[in-house]
Amino acid sequence: MLFNSIDFAVFLPIVFILYWFVFNYNLKAQNLFLVVASYVFYGWWDWRFLSLIAFSSIVDYTIGIKLMKENNPIKRKLYLWISIAVNLGFLGFFKYYNFFIDNFSTVFSLFGSKIATNSLNIILPVGISFYTFQTLSYTIDVYKRKLEPTKDIISFFAFVSFFPQLVAGPIERATNLLPQFYRNRKFNYPQAVDGLRQILWGFFKKIVIADNCAEYANMIFNNSDSYSGSTLVMGALFFTFQIYGDFSGYSDIAIGTSRLFGLNLRQNFAFPYFSRDIAEFWRRWHISLSTWFRDYLYIPIGGSRGSYCNKVRNIFIIFIVSGFWHGANWTFIVWGFLNALYFLPLMLAKRNRLNLEIVAQNELLPSLKEIIGMGITFGLTVFAWIFFRANSITHAITYIKDIFTASLFKIPEIRPSYLIILIVGFMIFEWFGRNQQYGIEKLFFNKPRIFRWGFYMLLIASVFIFSSRQQEFIYFQF
Amino acid sequence: MKKFFFNSLLFFIIFFIIEKSAYLIISRAPTLEYDNRLELLIKGEINKDLIVLGSSRGATNVMAKEIEEQTGLTSYNLSYMGSNILFHEFILNTLLKYNSAPDKIIFVIDNPYEFIDVETLTFRNDRLYPLSKYNYINNELIKQKERNILSKIFCLARINRSDFKFKKKEMPDDNPMDSSGSMPYVNKNPNIELDYSKGKNGYSTKNEIANRLEAFYNIQKICSNNNIELIFVFSPDYQKFNDSFKIRFERLLKSENTIVVYDTLNPAYKNKEYFYDTSHLLKNGASIFTSEIIEFLEKSK
Repeated sequence: MLFNSIDFAVFLPIVFILYWFVFNYNLKAQNLFLVVASYVFYGWWDWRFLSLIAFSSIVDYTIGIKLMKENNPIKRKLYLWISIAVNLGFLGFFKYYNFFIDNFSTVFSLFGSKIATNSLNIILPVGISFYTFQTLSYTIDVYKRKLEPTKDIISFFAFVSFFPQLVAGPIERATNLLPQFYRNRKFNYPQAVDGLRQILWGFFKKIVIADNCAEYANMIFNNSDSYSGSTLVMGALFFTFQIYGDFSGYSDIAIGTSRLFGLNLRQNFAFPYFSRDIAEFWRRWHISLSTWFRDYLYIPIGGSRGSYCNKVRNIFIIFIVSGFWHGANWTFIVWGFLNALYFLPLMLAKRNRLNLEIVAQNELLPSLKEIIGMGITFGLTVFAWIFFRANSITHAITYIKDIFTASLFKIPEIRPSYLIILIVGFMIFEWFGRNQQYGIEKLFFNKPRIFRWGFYMLLIASVFIFSSRQQEFIYFQF
Repeated sequence: MKKFFFNSLLFFIIFFIIEKSAYLIISRAPTLEYDNRLELLIKGEINKDLIVLGSSRGATNVMAKEIEEQTGLTSYNLSYMGSNILFHEFILNTLLKYNSAPDKIIFVIDNPYEFIDVETLTFRNDRLYPLSKYNYINNELIKQKERNILSKIFCLARINRSDFKFKKKEMPDDNPMDSSGSMPYVNKNPNIELDYSKGKNGYSTKNEIANRLEAFYNIQKICSNNNIELIFVFSPDYQKFNDSFKIRFERLLKSENTIVVYDTLNPAYKNKEYFYDTSHLLKNGASIFTSEIIEFLEKSK
């Protein structure tokens, strides 16, 4: 079920009412109802893949219990590897099987031997990359004794399948979300209103910004050979705002929806396009994934410790794996590689933790140095997104080549003024809300209701007016 | 919880009332159009003996006014530039829903693109947008997935960004619409150098789309049920006539319907002075072609 669908607009109020009025008498009943609602939410897309989530949940629940009882380190490690093999096995098969088969075939053909490959017509289960990482983090934390395994199977199933974040994150840690299912939840008016506000902001980002940017980004990327260099730059910029509006919009809707049910998810985006360097960008972009890779991959392989070579190796591993997580295509790997290149100088010069606070804190505007830093970081990010969006490496290279021609200085053929105004307006709201969890969290907070409601109604109106054809969220494909 | 529900309800009611002001924008939209044929259809004001349906070939190559003057049959052209057969079916259904059925329909065929998917022939949703104040049109837009079901309740959901252009649209200089709905080209196309030799023959059924074929059957069935004489017309191209498509087309045709193919031996159709581009005649060429249709109509009286 898509958040931006009529189905969800009907589903959410029904679940909300049943949750607070029918199943609120008992915590277990409430959690069980959340599991059922989440399975309906997921099954709406394709019920056959519910078995994957259920199987993954059972495996990790059982292994969690075994790990608690077992003290033999070899057996504990074996249990851990079973969990990793099952979860990554599913992920590998559904997401990467064809990629590896096709690439093996290509490599063999380079050496003159042609092998017959059997690519399979595999459907990628929505959200598999997200819930796989969520369940894996649980098992790894239990293995490392950072977390007490749960004996409450319903809570565990609710943790894995919780519908707002099931298909596109944020990737929650058991340490944050699981204990919330153990506690009685009371309806909290300010929390619910805040949730609705964040949902509205998420819809604005998705429908007004991302979907409208998508229209032009697709037009330009799909016909890139017919446009001038300046238009191709516009295309890359539109995609830059599309992916931000799309993914952070989804996260806002997910977090806001959770708050309606009295559950708090972690912030997933913290105004990444205001970052002053790439290291800051990665602390602010898809935070739940970046921290996942940091805690479960980067640190275990040595992190920033060890020799110069090890540091360089570790940086490349984490960024390339992160790129590969996004999809079975070389474009994502190059995107990850590029980000590693951007990050490496900061890391080696030990300047990767210079900008921990949000830019221009307690100031209205940034300093010249900060503006330059933000400009460079934004430019590098836009450049990397070209690889992320392109259909192939060749397409990306041609796209970049076509930018750097004399036509770069022409007036772009595609320059939708309404969209440029919307993006600028959107970024102004983001700028003024950059100290908060989301752009409009405290906007008109102390103003009379007429201002707040008037503003919300304007946002809803813009969602109606600027909605184009319903588009799927980009991160569904990951 | 009570407060939450009360405030949510209050917010919704106020929004529901305020958003109705969007109707002002929706109701103004049709007045900004120069092409009001679809609105006339919905208002039941197209009660004619003969209707021309088709895409740009129908709009530019057939002069409904001349047919009316020569045959005495009241005629109107409901062909839309760049429209596909699905759109023609929609126009036919709309015509019959709100107006009396015509005696004859001249259906101008897009040879060889009628049943295949080409970028230049679409369901012209843009013609429907300005008329979204009509529930019938809004329902069609919902069917086409251009609007969602909320547009049945909210006026705002019937608006899109194009409704904020408040300037009246101007008729094209090259092919202005006449009072009978035809849009013949009056100026030559300075950007095209016509070459008769570039014609292609051959046709593959592999590229046919099922819903296009279905629309074709439906159109024939609708006409048959309403006792409408359906005449399919192949208009001239500035290239050799594509026989392969005609053979395929004849196989799909019901026996009671007829085909009129332009006179391929007429030297006028090999003279670029009569053509705007490969598939569209200039006004002088359209007159010649229309006279062929008139001749057919007179003979079949």
